[in-house]
Amino acid sequence: MTSELPLPIQTAWLIPLYGFAGMLVSLPWACGAFRRDAHRPAAYLNILLTLVAFAHGSLILQQVIQFGPADLSFPWLNVADLELNISFSLSLTNLVALELITGLSLLSQVYSLGYMDKEWALARFFALLGFFEGAMSGVVLSDSLFQSYFLLEMLTLSTYLLVGFWYAQPLVVTAARDAFLTKRVGDVLLLMGVVALCAYSGVMGFNDLYAWAAQDSLSPLAATLLSLGLIAGPTGKCAQFPMHLWLDEAMEGPNPASILRNSVVVTCGAIVLLKVMPILQLSPIAIGVMLVIGSISAIGGSLVALAQVDIKRTLSYSTTAQLGLVFIAIALQIPVLALLLLFTHAVSKALLSMSIGGVIASTNCQDITELGGLGSRMPATTTAFLVGGAGLVGFLPLGGFLALAQSIELLSVRSVPYMAIFLLTNALTALGLVRVFRHVFMGSSLIKSRRAAEVNWQMALPMVALSVIVLITPLMLLRLESLEGLLAFPLWAAALVVSSGLVGLVVGALLPLSKAWSRSLNPLLRWWQDLLAYDFYTERFYRLTIVNVVASFSRLAYWFDRKVVDGLLNGVARFSLSSADSLKLSVSGQSQSYVLTVLVAIVLFLTSVSWFLT
Amino acid sequence: MLLSLLLLIPLLGALGLVLWPGAPSSERLREISIVVLAVQTVASFALLLPFDAADSALQLVEQARWVHVIGLDYALAVDGLSLPLVLMNGVLCLVAAIASRKIENRPRIYFALLLVISAAVNGAFLAQNLLLFFLFYELELIPLWMLIAIWGGANRSYAATKFLIVTAVSGVLILAAFLGLAFVTGSIDFSLRPVLAGEMGMTAQFVLMGALLIGFGIKIPLFPFHTWLPDAHTEASTPVSVLLAGVLLKLGTYGLLRFCMGLFPDAWQLASPWLAAWAAISVLYGSLAAIAQTDMKRMVAYSSVGHMGYVLLAAAAATPLGLMGALFQMVSHALISGVLFLMVGVVYVRTGTRDLNVLRGLLNPQRGLPLTGSLMIVGVMASAGLPGMAGFISEFLIFRGTLQPFPIATLLSMVGSGLTAVYFLLLVNRAFFGRLAIAPGEVVNPRILDRVALREQVPAIALSLGVLVLGLAPWLLSDLSEAATTGLSLINGDLS
Repeated sequence: MTSELPLPIQTAWLIPLYGFAGMLVSLPWACGAFRRDAHRPAAYLNILLTLVAFAHGSLILQQVIQFGPADLSFPWLNVADLELNISFSLSLTNLVALELITGLSLLSQVYSLGYMDKEWALARFFALLGFFEGAMSGVVLSDSLFQSYFLLEMLTLSTYLLVGFWYAQPLVVTAARDAFLTKRVGDVLLLMGVVALCAYSGVMGFNDLYAWAAQDSLSPLAATLLSLGLIAGPTGKCAQFPMHLWLDEAMEGPNPASILRNSVVVTCGAIVLLKVMPILQLSPIAIGVMLVIGSISAIGGSLVALAQVDIKRTLSYSTTAQLGLVFIAIALQIPVLALLLLFTHAVSKALLSMSIGGVIASTNCQDITELGGLGSRMPATTTAFLVGGAGLVGFLPLGGFLALAQSIELLSVRSVPYMAIFLLTNALTALGLVRVFRHVFMGSSLIKSRRAAEVNWQMALPMVALSVIVLITPLMLLRLESLEGLLAFPLWAAALVVSSGLVGLVVGALLPLSKAWSRSLNPLLRWWQDLLAYDFYTERFYRLTIVNVVASFSRLAYWFDRKVVDGLLNGVARFSLSSADSLKLSVSGQSQSYVLTVLVAIVLFLTSVSWFLT
Repeated sequence: MLLSLLLLIPLLGALGLVLWPGAPSSERLREISIVVLAVQTVASFALLLPFDAADSALQLVEQARWVHVIGLDYALAVDGLSLPLVLMNGVLCLVAAIASRKIENRPRIYFALLLVISAAVNGAFLAQNLLLFFLFYELELIPLWMLIAIWGGANRSYAATKFLIVTAVSGVLILAAFLGLAFVTGSIDFSLRPVLAGEMGMTAQFVLMGALLIGFGIKIPLFPFHTWLPDAHTEASTPVSVLLAGVLLKLGTYGLLRFCMGLFPDAWQLASPWLAAWAAISVLYGSLAAIAQTDMKRMVAYSSVGHMGYVLLAAAAATPLGLMGALFQMVSHALISGVLFLMVGVVYVRTGTRDLNVLRGLLNPQRGLPLTGSLMIVGVMASAGLPGMAGFISEFLIFRGTLQPFPIATLLSMVGSGLTAVYFLLLVNRAFFGRLAIAPGEVVNPRILDRVALREQVPAIALSLGVLVLGLAPWLLSDLSEAATTGLSLINGDLS
């Protein structure tokens, strides 16, 4: 059916398989079939396969730009009234997202060669990265809700395994557990939505679903529940309030995986949300919920980031905040804006993650209050942080600026309060980045940063490459979008964005950073600091609510099982044994009496049965 | 003739084992039984050749008059429902035999009993006469009781007695229902004909179906008839647990579909909302009780209670898709619980405990059990319904098939599926993640666990591959059985 399509497009289904193949080819090394300290071939094979995936994606992108989008579909499972297909939508948006994923995956795999230099389980790590990449590539290309769900869950599994990579450490154990369970809560709700949609509409392809949703035959209640289910999955994936804690804890995993998690994994969640957006329009309540989630995550996330002392956590909360903005954009039905924000955030945040990974690798320290003066010692890392930060907060010609200026322009006609949220988030993000920068790269060297050296070339190369990409992001965007479209914002919007960034910059620069300030003696200030540092006590909230409920019910069920159900059974058994004991005393040995007993019993049984049955 | 072979091969094998001259070693007896079961498995896969998947009717029918006076005739046949279960029985009995290492206590009887169980289960899945089914159903009971009572753990006599009494009650109820059927219809022809119940009064249908429901509900097991299962599993040895969870519980679900639903369709449909509620309770109860367990084996046992509840849910809805899901769940649960019990067994043999409060860090690559841990992760993820593995397909098919008739019960069951992730993640996190525990008394030198040879893990690896293959290529099973499950369904087509 697809014979007229060019070969790269016909074989597009291979793209997710490259990543999965990477996992398979790493298995012999990961299982110890070769010498334990010779895992490099597995890494090289994975990098090669990712390169192939990237190249293949580029070819398709070129074809699609030239000839327009294409769709591929293969039947998968056909039972009764259920028809499931494997389908790919090769649209421009999906392919750009694919290139983003494979590109960043390639860079972070090269980066891993340096960062995980002394790791004994390198092959396992690369196998998991391959799995991760394959699942993500599949999600963005997917043209069916079922397939998206399928791959999102695989992403959940691979996140669990990647976060739990250093499984011997106690914090990693809880982090991996929370990452899995939080996402799983979202996924189960999403599964409810998927199953319900599948049952009521009978189709799973996105375009069929849109057509079905347009007819709008559902009751408002059903539509709302359905939409809430569909939102829940991406809320967990994008680390949005109240399912955001896992991203922060997941920072216990290896940094190269954090690069991907903070940039493209969250993007995958948002892209699935974008794809179901037309269905969500069935329910105004669901849209409202999304706006609330996005707003809380944007403001709350950027505030919490300000109070963190762990360098990786400052970043993960800012990811939550930025994705909050994306949620708002999706809820307000501005897909262009959501994509713009996602793209610029992904490249900048990946660069920032690489930079702080360099800091961690070189100092073995994640506490920003113990670092300082790295600026002169690690020029490449410092530059990467600056470029990444500039790209994120709307520094004048960079990608973040274009995205934010667009947002302000588009929001000013729709909703001014959300415009304010965007500006506030931007200011707070800038403030947070300046704070981290001052702590880590400026000031005098502290003990842990005194002997720090610049990172090795395997880490520096991707950092420099990605810095260049962040710098030329505006040009790349211009290739995809017409100049007028991208720059169609008034001067005042640009001024607002720049000034919000400047406010953050200035406040951050003037903020006193003494150690004494890091935990104030003033009770009120300290209350606020603790509130933010402990992430609004979300963990305690989880423990008191859902964890407590499940644990109590499970204890109750088990108590009931032992005491009531089993107790009853044992009681009956004991009664019959003791009555048998007493009966054996009445045994006479006369066979007539036994026959009589049996006969009486049979007659009684049959009479009662016939009485029952007539 | 092919179907009778499936009974004859293991039975003759059992006879051969008992009569084998001299004093063969346990290892030799194991090899013989592996060969016999392998031949049986190949023979059951050979059924695929003459089998016509497009035909929903009974195929390869074999009939002979036997004790015709009381209506007991020898009648075997296969359809899309029983064929996958026969294949599953072959594979799991083979796995159980392979996993039966170092049976020093009366190995001759042990392996003979294993073969008898295999034959009896095949017979039960293939029997087309109610009394014949009952005969096979009971035939599997005593060998299993002996396997627990003789080769079980410390508290085996309690567990085995409980198993025997409870499942004997199940058998009595089933027999009573079958006899009642004859009594009410006034014919002593026990051949399985779905129309049999058509002319009966509703009360009669309900009474007889109720007896069957409780009878099979004990076997499945469903709440509140399940407490024999955790005890039996905890005391049974690993291969017996694999058989019990993988094969014998399926007799209950098979009976549910074939007899409860098949013989009393009208009563079944009237009762179905209650059955769906019962299923949801069973699912949630099993999952919640599993969370509270600290013994790995008990945890897996309670998970079976939860996961078998899905089958009742699907049967209650009786939609074509739901029934396909039920069959899928029976097969995938067999494979997955096989992996889980095998891995728990390896951990128990190596560390001497299954207590989740004691075990830590077993994934440790040098001193721990890394491959066991990896396979365990595959098993628990499959059980939690992660896509790409068989458990997901069955859950999706079931939920999709039951959502429209029973939305609330389905959503509650999905919560149960979420809870599966909770307890199994706790299991993996506690036992396999973290630092390898230092054995009490050995503070300085942490205990080094015996290495597990790769060949010991071959059965579990094979089962895991099966889980993955069915998860990625579900049509392999669905194409085989679609005609049969559709034919069995009470509700045709879409409800909407």
